[in-house]
Parts: sequence; C-alpha cells; structure tokens
Amino acid sequence: MSASTLSRRHLLQTLGAGSLGLAALPLAGCALPSAFADGGEGDAADDELTFLISNLDGGWVPSKSAISSYEANVWQQLTDKLVHTDADGVVSPWIAESWEQDADSTEFVLHLREGVTFSDGTPLDAAAVLANLESWAVGRPDDGLAPVGLFPGGTYEGAEALDPLTVRVTFTAPTLSFLPTLGYHGCQLMAPASIAASLEEQSDLANQIGSGPFVLDTWAGNDHVRLVRREDYDWAPEVLGASGPATLSAITFRVLPDDTLRASAARAGQTDIAYNVNPQVLDSFTEAGFVIEVPRYLGFVHGFSLRTNVAPFDDVRVRQAVTRGIDRDEILRTVFTDAWESATSWLQAGVPETTDLTELFAYDPGLAAQLLDEAGWTDRTEDGFRSKDGTELGFTIYPTPYLTGSVPEAELISQHLGRLGIRVSTQRLDIPTWTERVTNNPEQGISPVTRSFVDVGTVAGVITDEGEDWFAVGTSDEELVRLRDEVAGAADHDERAAIVEQLSRHVLEQAYFIPLEQNVQRIYVQSPQLSGITFNAVAIPSYHAARKDPS
Amino acid sequence: MSTTATLPESTEAPRRTVRSSRGLLGAAVGRSAQALVVIVLAYVLVFLVLAAIPGDPVSAQLDNPQAGFSDAEKARIRSFHGLDQPVLVQLVVSLGHAVQGDLGLSMATSQPVTQVIGAAIPSTLRLAVTALVLAVALAAALGLATRLLPEGRLNDLVRSLPTLFLSTPNFLIGLVLIQVLAVQLGLFSLVDSEGFASTVAAALTLAIPVSAQIAQVFITALDESAGQDYAEVALARGLPPAQVVLRHLLRPSLLPTVTVVGLVIGEVLGGSLITETIFGRAGIGMVVQKAVATQDVSVLLAAVVLSALVFVVVNLVIDLLYLLLDPRLRPSEVSR
Amino acid sequence: MTTAALTPGRTASQAAARRSGTVPVSVVVSAAVIAVVLLWSLVPGLVTGHDPAVGVPDDKFTAPGARYWLGTDHLGRDLLTRIVHGSASSMTSALVAVAIGVIVGGVLGLLGGYLGGWVDAVIGRLVDVLLAIPGFLLAVVVVTALGYDTRNAAIATGISAVAVFARLMRAEVLRVRTSVFIEAARVNGGSTLHILTRHVLPNALRPVLSLAVLQFGIAILVIAGLAFLGYGDPPPASDWGLLVSDGREHLLHAPWLVLAPGCVIAVVVLSVSRISRWLDQERNR
Repeated sequence: MSASTLSRRHLLQTLGAGSLGLAALPLAGCALPSAFADGGEGDAADDELTFLISNLDGGWVPSKSAISSYEANVWQQLTDKLVHTDADGVVSPWIAESWEQDADSTEFVLHLREGVTFSDGTPLDAAAVLANLESWAVGRPDDGLAPVGLFPGGTYEGAEALDPLTVRVTFTAPTLSFLPTLGYHGCQLMAPASIAASLEEQSDLANQIGSGPFVLDTWAGNDHVRLVRREDYDWAPEVLGASGPATLSAITFRVLPDDTLRASAARAGQTDIAYNVNPQVLDSFTEAGFVIEVPRYLGFVHGFSLRTNVAPFDDVRVRQAVTRGIDRDEILRTVFTDAWESATSWLQAGVPETTDLTELFAYDPGLAAQLLDEAGWTDRTEDGFRSKDGTELGFTIYPTPYLTGSVPEAELISQHLGRLGIRVSTQRLDIPTWTERVTNNPEQGISPVTRSFVDVGTVAGVITDEGEDWFAVGTSDEELVRLRDEVAGAADHDERAAIVEQLSRHVLEQAYFIPLEQNVQRIYVQSPQLSGITFNAVAIPSYHAARKDPS
Repeated sequence: MSTTATLPESTEAPRRTVRSSRGLLGAAVGRSAQALVVIVLAYVLVFLVLAAIPGDPVSAQLDNPQAGFSDAEKARIRSFHGLDQPVLVQLVVSLGHAVQGDLGLSMATSQPVTQVIGAAIPSTLRLAVTALVLAVALAAALGLATRLLPEGRLNDLVRSLPTLFLSTPNFLIGLVLIQVLAVQLGLFSLVDSEGFASTVAAALTLAIPVSAQIAQVFITALDESAGQDYAEVALARGLPPAQVVLRHLLRPSLLPTVTVVGLVIGEVLGGSLITETIFGRAGIGMVVQKAVATQDVSVLLAAVVLSALVFVVVNLVIDLLYLLLDPRLRPSEVSR
Repeated sequence: MTTAALTPGRTASQAAARRSGTVPVSVVVSAAVIAVVLLWSLVPGLVTGHDPAVGVPDDKFTAPGARYWLGTDHLGRDLLTRIVHGSASSMTSALVAVAIGVIVGGVLGLLGGYLGGWVDAVIGRLVDVLLAIPGFLLAVVVVTALGYDTRNAAIATGISAVAVFARLMRAEVLRVRTSVFIEAARVNGGSTLHILTRHVLPNALRPVLSLAVLQFGIAILVIAGLAFLGYGDPPPASDWGLLVSDGREHLLHAPWLVLAPGCVIAVVVLSVSRISRWLDQERNR
C-alpha cells in the first residue's frame, strides 16, 4: 500500500466521521424506544387550552401584578371589571349595567348588575365595589399595598352606596378619565375578603377570589397556573356577544422562559398558544397556518424618553438629531412584520386624541447631521465618530426586555446613528438588571418606554414632576407645566383633545420623546383551531368565549 | 463540553499506589481526609474569587433612590448580611455556617440557599445520571466495535468518532436535537422538560462529548490488552473474536475506564449549564445562570462547591472500591 | 477531565504512515484549515467585501447562495463576513487562554516538581481543588468576578486550564530531574534557577507544548460556550459562540445561522486536535 492511499484514508477518516456523526444524531433519536414519543401532540383535551408564557414570577398581589404583561393574562380570566373598554377606547357596560355623570364630570353614579357573585359565594354588590374603589384609589400603603397607579386617585374624594346595587363616586375636580379607567387591567374586581387580606396572604393566588369565568384549580410558583371553568358564570360583557359559562373547561398557563423554546414548542404543535416570540419568526408561523395576534393597547408608542439632565441629551439639537436620524421604515421592514405600523405621535394611534405629528420626527439624516454640526459636534475620533472638546458623542441603549424584537431594533438604530457619527452601544439585559440599570438609574439618559393607559387624561401627570418626571425637567419647562394643568382641568373631551395635541407637539418638538413604532407588547401565536378570542383596550385576551375546534 | 485537555501520561492504567502500610482502613481514612481538605479549600477559593465582584445585590437594591433607605438603615441591612465585615471575617463566618449545613440566604431573593439548590437538584440529577448511562453505553459500543469490526475503513471511522464528538460544541448538538427530534419529528416535548423523552434528549447532548472521553480510554485499554500474549494466544487458538473480547480483553480494560467515568463527572456537571439553558430545564445549571445574572454570590458559591463535592465524593468512592477490589493496590502488597 | 487518552489507539494505517515517515493528508488538511482561519484573523477584509456590522436590512434571512455564501442574518449582514471577522477574537482569546494555562500551570508544575516538599504540597492541593471544580463552571465563576467580555472569558478559560498543565509539567519535571545530566549539573554546582531554566525546562517542555495544542482547541470550545451564554462581548461583536446564540432564535426558519458558525467551530477544533494527535505520535516514535 502506498503512502498516498494511506493518507487519503486518513482524510476520509477525519472528514467522513464528520458527516456520519451529524447524520447519526437524528438516527440515534429514531432508534430509541417508542416510549420516546410521548410529547408529539398537545396532551390537553379538546376543550382545554395550554398557554406558554415567559414568566409568572411577578407575584399575585393585584396591586403589583394586575397590570403586568404576564400575570394580566391570568387575571383577566379570573376577574371581571365594572366596564369593558375595547381596543378603540369605547366604554360599554359589564358589571356596571349603566351609569350617569354630572355636567362637570365630578360625580358618577354606577348601577350594578344583579345576581353577580364572587367564586366564594359572596355577592358582588355596592359594598364590594366600595371596597374595590378604596383599594384602587388609596390602597393600604402602610401594609405594603399600593393603590392603582393610573386610577385618578389624586382627585378621588370618596364613594357611597345609595342602595345595594348603586354606587356614587365623587371627585374634587373634573375627572374624565374615571369611566374608561374602570376598564383598565389594574381595576379588576376582587372579593372583599381578598382585599382585606394581608400582603403575605395576598401573595397566594389561592386567596385571590374573583368573579370571572374561570377559577383557580392549581398553581405552582413560577411553573404553572391551571384554571377551570366556573359553571354558574353568566355576566360576560354584553358587547362581546357570548353569555353563560365559558366554552373551554380549563386553561393551563405554563412557564417556559426561553423565547426560542416557546416558538419551537408552538411549531411542534405542543401548545395552543405561545406568548411573545421573536417578531422576525412570525412570518414563518403564518406560512405554516398559525394565527398571529398582535393586539395594540392604548398607551404610549414604543419609544425612548430622554433625561435632559444627562449628557448628551442636555442639548435639544442632539435630541432632535437622534430622533431625525432613525430610519423607522427600515426598522419596520427588517425587524417586524406587516402587522406593525409606524408611530404617528408619541401616543398610540388607537388613542382617540392622537393626531398625526409624523412631520416633527420623520427620518431626515441631512437635517440630523446639520443639527449635530450646529451643536458643535464637528470633530471626529479615530473611529470616525463625532466629538466635541475631546468627548465622543455616544450613549448606550438597553433594549426593553418587555418587548420581543427590541434587541435587533436597537442594533439597527445603532447602525442608523452610527452613519451620523454617533456611537450607540446596545446591551441586552434581563428584567431585574434592566430595572436596576435603566428604570431606577437617574444617570441613564435614554430609557425605552412601553406603557399603557386607557385615558389620555392620566398622561400629563405621569410624565411631569407630579408623577415620574420622565424628562428630568422638573418645573423648568413652563410650557409643559401649563399644558399639564390644563389637561387635568379640562371638563369636556373636545377641549381636552386640543390641549393634548399641544402637549404632544411640545414633547415632540423638544424631542423629549423619540417615537419608534406602534407598540405591540404582546404577541400571541395561536393554533389555527382556536376561535372566539377577544382583546380589550390594554391588549389582554379574554378566553370566555374561546373555543377549540378539533382539526 | 470538555474543558481541559486529556493527559497522555494516563493512557496506561492509572497507578494508584498507597505509600504507607497503614492497611486498608487507614488508606480509606487518609483518602477521605484528603477529599475533605479539597472541599474546604474549594469553598475558600471560590469565596475569594467571588469576593472580587464589585458591588453586591443587597447594596444594589438599597442604593436605588426610589427605595428611600436612610444611610443608617442601609448600614444595618448590610451588617445583617455581614457585608460590612472584612472579606476574611466574612469567609470564616460563612465557612463556619456552611460546615453546619447552613448556606445562608440568597442575596437576590432572600430564600434559604439550601432551598434554592435543593429544588434544582432532582432535575440535574436525572439529567446527569441519564447522561452518564448514555455516555457509557455509547463508549462501550464504540470500543467493542473497534475490536469486533475487521481492520479497515469502517474500523478507522469508528476510531475517529470520539475526536469528532469532542470537537463538536454541545450547544450545536443540543440545538440540532431540538430542531430535528422535537420540532420536526415530534419525538419529545419541549413543554414538559422533565419528561422521560425530554430528559433523554437533553442527556444525549451532554453524553456525546463525554462518551468520547470514555471511549478514548476504553479503546486504548482494549488495544493494549489485545497486544498481550494471552490474548494473541487465544486468538491463535481459533477462538471467535467476540469470545476473546469478552473473556480476555474486557476485564483488564475496565479499570482505566471506570476511572475516567469518575473523572468525567466534572464535564457532566459543567456541561449541564449549557444543556439546561438550551432545553429549558430548571436545574442547577439554570440556578447558576440566574445567580450569575443577579450576582447572587451565596447561591453561586453553594452551587459550585456542591459540584466540587459531587466530583470529589464520586472519585473517592471509586478509589476506595479499587482498594477493595484490586489486591495489587493494597498497601501491604504495593511494590515500591 | 484529566485522563482520557490523547491517542485513541493505533490503527493499521497510522502505524504504516508512521513507518513511511510522510505527513498524513488529514494533518495537511487540518493545517490548511488553521492557516485559513489565521488568515481570516489577520486580514479579515481579504476574504469578503461585506461589512461585518452593517448589513442590507432588505436582504435579511437570505439563504446561502452565490451572493451571500453562507446567507445573511436577521439584519441582513453577511454571515461569512461575520464569521471571518469573529475569528480574530475567537482565535486570540483561545491563544490567551492557552498562554495563561501554559505559563501559570507550567510555573506551578515546575516549582512543585523541582522543589518538592511543602511547596509541592501546597501547589498540589491547589491543583486538586482546581481539578475538583468542573472546568466550565470555574470559568463561569471567574468571568463573573472579572466582568463580561471576551478578554475576561479568555482569562477565565485559561485559569480553568491551569491545573492540567501544572500536573503534566510536574510529572515531566520529576521524570527529568532524576536523569543523569541533571544530577551532573547539580554536582557541578549549578544554581537552582540555572538548572531549572537551562536543563529541566527545555526537556519537560515538549509534552507540555503538545498538550497546549490540544488545549487550544478545547479553549475555543469553552470560550464559544461562554459567549453562547452571553458572557463575552455583546453584539455587534461576532464571536463564534455569540453567532450561534444569536442564530438560535431563528433556527426554525434560518438554520444556517446556527449550523454555519457551529460547524466552523467544530471543524477548527477537529483540525487542532488532529494536529495535536499527530504531534504526539511523532513524539512517541
């Protein structure tokens, strides 16, 4: 045998082993015993739903987790609300059958539906509603139980029962936001016993009694929550069309933290619904026959709020240049699917008061470069980034962990701004670290915003120094303060809409807020067999009327 | 994933000699004491390395201006966690508690560390044991194939498989398994990650690189035994190869093979970090990852020391078994 | 961890190749693979004209083809370009890791083996401890303490490899120390340092270097694993492990994003271990 044939054998040996090894992987799997095939089909019965969710570790104290993107999916099935607010902000009766309000919107009378009970048997009457209103408006801060952030607690005066099914609520000032906010996910009706429970007792989901179409069966930590149908339920919102008990007999929410695994499990048909998968894989799901729901909530668009006391955002020209330097169309084309739309303002398009202000922040790299030149960022570093007095122009974006797709989006933004000479680093963080480095960190100049509200009247308070002072301007921006006070004092919707437009204009002109795209915070990949699912104003699904058709 | 190179010196059967003539019991006690020292030193080493982390989760939470703690309150809470003491004092206190089985509280969640770790052990144990069984089976199959297949291309191919297995990143193996077995063939559930089929798939990911290390030793040992006179004589007498392998080659090859099985425990535990991430299993690897993300030093320390403990104990047991089984290794009969 | 054999036995062809004295083709191919990757690392621009950090977003998820040989990623960046530009970081960090292992481990082994006594005992215990902690876990702990980036991941990987080098070096020193020429040097009154550097070290070094080559491949794997878990440089860096981790989300519809960088890692490590095995056989001749 010659040396060359021997050597060739070596080659075959090394390379052939490669192909054989890879081929052996699937073979090895097939060769395993048939006991292996236990997970091919979703193992739930035909009238049971499985729902894969990223996490359920926010706890079960309603004031903490009712508005969480994750737990809210569970709460919605367990509880009811006084009114139903739909995706367009239209308010319709639910537990409150009807209502009246006085001319200046300071006094409201709610008439409750008869015969509604919590799942522990206690009636959902005026007394129960009073207890709930108190918990939303005031809470029990001393016991660690916070009020509901967006409930207009600032002007709340009190409430009284006129009779067992009638409640009067009074405010110290016009409060247009009261009725729509009753349909906000924070304002879910809990049994008086649950409200009276201590913080520790409330953290046990078993102690949380609602009046909704499903009741708790079992739950385990950050693992799963299983709900079963409440057979005597008969008070779903009329506008949704279904009455009587739910169609499904049970829903199991199972925690699977990994985005990729949830997507893969959905693809393998191992779940009925998968929550929040990467938007970039959605097209392949649509092609495979899945239904993708991307409900939009009322609230802020996805964007960045800028702290004006942190360099380089202390210069309005830099802020404007950043907002003008982002190619939003390219982001939509690249990171998202056709179901996403570009922002027209800093508020979602579904908010009735929103007007199209795109011209104030539209992509204009020429203008952006000019603004940066004017601001004095004319030197260049070795890497080609702009600098001034030896300082490089740049910042770090921590994409929000609450939004799938925010990471590639930030990478694209980094490329767009890089072309202008701004160095933008991006770093992905998990939720606790993100909260620590971004939300709680006054040194971080640029923070992603994904936030819902049901009534625009609550906005002005939240963003200014009365609330969270998003832009770190305190009272220095007199125009902002004036607009805030006027929004709060408006007594009718038309007057308020005009002020809201002025407010939006001001925020966008000052580039306090950089809008990106219409926020889709929740993505539901659903099996094609599902139907009858509805979404409310804050994009939370209701499974009361959902059904599963055997394929 | 194999983290450290394999040593050429130990292709021969490991020589496990005992220096003194204290007898079997004395040797056992000596080995155990040595193991204990290693564990304590591992604790100290990891503690000191982790002490280098700037900041700690407790302080990070306290310093958040929205939490509104006064300086005095911060100081009190820090001192509750012992964070105001010099590192060496912290070490001594922590080690003292650890010896009594008290691993302290998780700095991120305030749960007892033993509880956090304890909850994760069953998952990792299932994974590790399944992986070891698969790895040994795979290695045995490869080893026997090299003896039973005639010399030639196929045999060479089998011989080169371990190198390939060792060279393939385990995350690649895991991702391919998920894509092919779960998504395309629906053979295991991605939702029920603790199910039998899911565990086997995850274990296979770990087992492939680990089996390679075992197979390499096993194959070498078989080759060496085959070169011995008695084996050649047996073959010359016309015994079928399978019988020769069983009767003459297997037994002498087991000793080094069992040794390497003990040593790859470390690979299995280290590899579980990536495997558990890919398969979404809530085991020790996942606990470690979370602890790293939240800088939860107490949990991280406990998880690492536990891994070292498992490694040391398994190898101690193997050592002691040798002393029992192999008369040549007994102290009184050791030739020096 | 410490033991498994470097040489998986002799095959007939290997034995024959050894006798004939030629370099096997598989070794030549492996060397070529390494040479190509080194070339990528040194002059990444030579191979592709694309930009590794900026892509054509409209070309996202293009399957491998004539325009993009290995396809594009979720932002339309050329995957081959990203792999090529990631190779410098992946190779350098593996090199750093091995250097740390060889130097720190080598010095410890040298001191322990030559000086013996309590020095040897202390070093021996340290090595025992390092061996007892699963290597990958140790690397994770060290990189956590140092901070997440590729350089620190390399250091961590190096530290997790110190023990094997220390052990091998010690064994080699013990072997060499008792040999005749060392005895002779000692009798002639050479200083300890002189004997160590002039006589012991050169003789003990060869097996250590052979191990270093193998360890280089393993370091690539470990560093890729750390990057996969997010303990290396963040994007837009394109370390191989990071590429796999980024591509993982798209495994369902763009499998090349995982397979290509994954296979590059496997092929490079395979080549390195082939070379290491061949060096080892040459040594044992």
